[in-house]
Amino acid sequence: MADRILTPRGLDAELVSVGAAAPALRLAVSAINSAWGRTGGRGQVAACRSDEDTLTLAASAASRALGAAGVGPGSIDGLWWGTSRLPFAEGPSWSTLAASLRLDTSTDGTAIAGSPHSGVDALLAAADAVAAGRVRTALVVASEALRPALGSGHETAAGAGAVALVLRRDGAGARLDSVASRFEPLLDRYRGDDETETRDTYDSRLVREEAFMPLAADVIGALGMHPDTRWSLADPDGRLAKGLSRKLKLGDPVSAAVRTHLGDLGAAAPLAGLVAALGESGPAALLAWGGGRATALGLAVDEPVPGAPEALGDLLAEGMPADYARVLRSRGQLEATGESVEMAIPPGSAMFVRDLREVLGLLGARCVNCGVVNLPPSAHPSCPGCGGDKFDVAELPHHGTVQTFVVNQTMPAPFEAPLPLVVVDLDDGSRVQLQGSDDGSALEVGMPVELVLRRYTIERGVPVYGWKVAT
Amino acid sequence: MTWNRASIVGAGLIKMGELFDQSYEQMARGAFDAAVASVDNGFDTSDIDAVFVATQRGTLWGQEGIGGNTVPSAIGLNGVACTRIENACPSGSDAFRVGAMAVASGAYDTVLVIGVEKMRDKSSEEGLLARAAGGHPVYTRGESAPVLFAPFATRHMHDFGTTKEMLASVAVKNHHNGCLDPYAHFQYEVTVEQVVEAAPVCSPLGLLDCCPQTDGAAAVILTTPEKARDHTAAPVHVAGFGVATDHPYLHEKSGYVGLTATVEASGRAYEMAGIGPADIDVAEVHDCFTITEILDIEDLGFFEKGKGGIASAEGETSLTGRIPVNPSGGLLAKGHPIGATGIAQLTECWWQLRGQADERQVKVHNGFALQHNVGGRGSGVSVVNVLTTNE
Repeated sequence: MADRILTPRGLDAELVSVGAAAPALRLAVSAINSAWGRTGGRGQVAACRSDEDTLTLAASAASRALGAAGVGPGSIDGLWWGTSRLPFAEGPSWSTLAASLRLDTSTDGTAIAGSPHSGVDALLAAADAVAAGRVRTALVVASEALRPALGSGHETAAGAGAVALVLRRDGAGARLDSVASRFEPLLDRYRGDDETETRDTYDSRLVREEAFMPLAADVIGALGMHPDTRWSLADPDGRLAKGLSRKLKLGDPVSAAVRTHLGDLGAAAPLAGLVAALGESGPAALLAWGGGRATALGLAVDEPVPGAPEALGDLLAEGMPADYARVLRSRGQLEATGESVEMAIPPGSAMFVRDLREVLGLLGARCVNCGVVNLPPSAHPSCPGCGGDKFDVAELPHHGTVQTFVVNQTMPAPFEAPLPLVVVDLDDGSRVQLQGSDDGSALEVGMPVELVLRRYTIERGVPVYGWKVAT
Repeated sequence: MTWNRASIVGAGLIKMGELFDQSYEQMARGAFDAAVASVDNGFDTSDIDAVFVATQRGTLWGQEGIGGNTVPSAIGLNGVACTRIENACPSGSDAFRVGAMAVASGAYDTVLVIGVEKMRDKSSEEGLLARAAGGHPVYTRGESAPVLFAPFATRHMHDFGTTKEMLASVAVKNHHNGCLDPYAHFQYEVTVEQVVEAAPVCSPLGLLDCCPQTDGAAAVILTTPEKARDHTAAPVHVAGFGVATDHPYLHEKSGYVGLTATVEASGRAYEMAGIGPADIDVAEVHDCFTITEILDIEDLGFFEKGKGGIASAEGETSLTGRIPVNPSGGLLAKGHPIGATGIAQLTECWWQLRGQADERQVKVHNGFALQHNVGGRGSGVSVVNVLTTNE
């Protein structure tokens, strides 16, 4: 084995808040096994509804982190997003997320994808930009929603979830203070360029003995953390973390509860696992793993990080039990035969170009004459209230109450019934009509609701995002 | 003082239904023949100066070019002037209004207004109810036809205590009337219990709260009041009409217990006819869903806002009620072949005013019948026509 040079370094960036999000569905591992004629299997994994994906989870976690930091999107000047797999293999993944968060169009940053290591890559890139003074306040998001190969070992592990952090140079909270990385060009979890689903290696013991254990031990050792350090350990198969912590005497990993509840969160796993350690001061560290890389990162939690208890609650939320067929349908791995209903207007056409930022940012136009808000502004040159033609941009609030609603009970593919449609009176007096984000069974006239970013459809390969109403 | 500058001398329709065995053109021919045959003193089809064709979407998606120039040739009038009118669900009633104005203007003496719609050449899954693909790609995604009306049911029930049983009473009445109308798509009675317990389609509306997808055609011959005397001793005159629009998206509505376009359109029609809602003897109104008829009878001024549900349940709109509504069976039982719907309603009004409606004949005191449609994106357009036998 070649000589390895470890480079511990201090990073001048403080973690000032955290937010997290889990998808709606929970699938028992035994249900996956049963579908493949295998018996048993413990635990569960989290899975997206058909309108959730790595981007919508990222958006939810990010808005919660911003809320916990008490800063608006206008204070963010850099967005770094790590995920194994972006919603557009090529295309505006990062800018779609940024627009939905209403970040300024001059915002710095990038999306980093391609392996479960990408979440920590995003964090380190953001920390470097903050330390260098290139950005003042950075938003870091790590999210995951994989499409595992059916029947593979990876299928019983693959979960979904997201975590987001706000980083600032002179903040309070948790300090990033050391990092060590190693790589080996090895094959563990992977997907070829012409493949649609992620597979794991055919020999898990080979990965454990020749790759995971030695690299992980190397970077953890290089970090030289205090014995009381609370560790968040990447745990791709649900067993590796336990073996590693026993071998290196790291104590019970703080990431265990999230891993048990949601499965392997891939690029989001190390940071999601760390959330449990951010609520109390003391030393903490994480191990990121994937794509032939291992990185250990040490933190000093000087004081509890705002948002940590809520984020942990969001990650450990109960979720909705789902059967195997529903999860396959949601991931697009089980599709009805026949023609499905296309949108009247194809994504990428002129109308999308005209109003996509308005739709993603939930922007309206407020009439300077009578105050009525219309949306989308590009479709309304005249005020519906007074016919006026002068408007201010209105950033619509994400909360309101139900004015009226319906629940569509029978829908053609690609829709899934029941499908609620809700007219919502937003807190600023404006009004929107949007789909409901769940089955609509809890909807009532007058009840308070929240708007959440969701994926409306994938058409001609293009994911289309917009806001929905959550009860 | 009624307008009376154009008069109906003939009207007819074909039996509504899933007419898999008939083409768009064959349906048009059938309606035209029925209208011609209905003229009391006979009619020379070469007297027709112009044709106005109402078709919302030819063979409902896929052949939108159908209609217009394809109709005259199909009905043996090749060469005659022809224009297609598309104005959503009121396409037929609006084509009638345009035809009446064309006659009143003096440009033409006699015009044919014909509505034709082929709803079932596409599978029901691809039809209007299910499609959910129109409008804004995100804000209205999933907005199938019932979504334009069901939110009003939710809110009407919330605000006025209207019940599912009251909604059901509309379907019960219209199915009953449909059994008396040989042209109706459905010819069976339903009970309140059956309607309430029917499979949910778009909560709070169930299957029997919804009109079917129906093929059909209907035609009306309009001429000047003077020429009308040559054709019949009992012409029916156009007393007035009104059209109004409203914002196209649900989130722009001023409220969810009534349709503003109907209020405006009927106000204009009443004013033009010089009458009020109390003068109407019989009404054919747009009941694409049970809730729609309840909204209509309030918005048209027959009942106070909020009282339409209880009035329906108490039989005030039945054939023998205070104001009989949809004696033909309405869209719920007769069917809703969109372009043909308004003209079929006008045909029923013509029969009712002339005392030709057989078992479903209502008592005519004042000599006024009202015909109404509302539709389009967000019920953004409504048309009301008032007919009269009064000179």
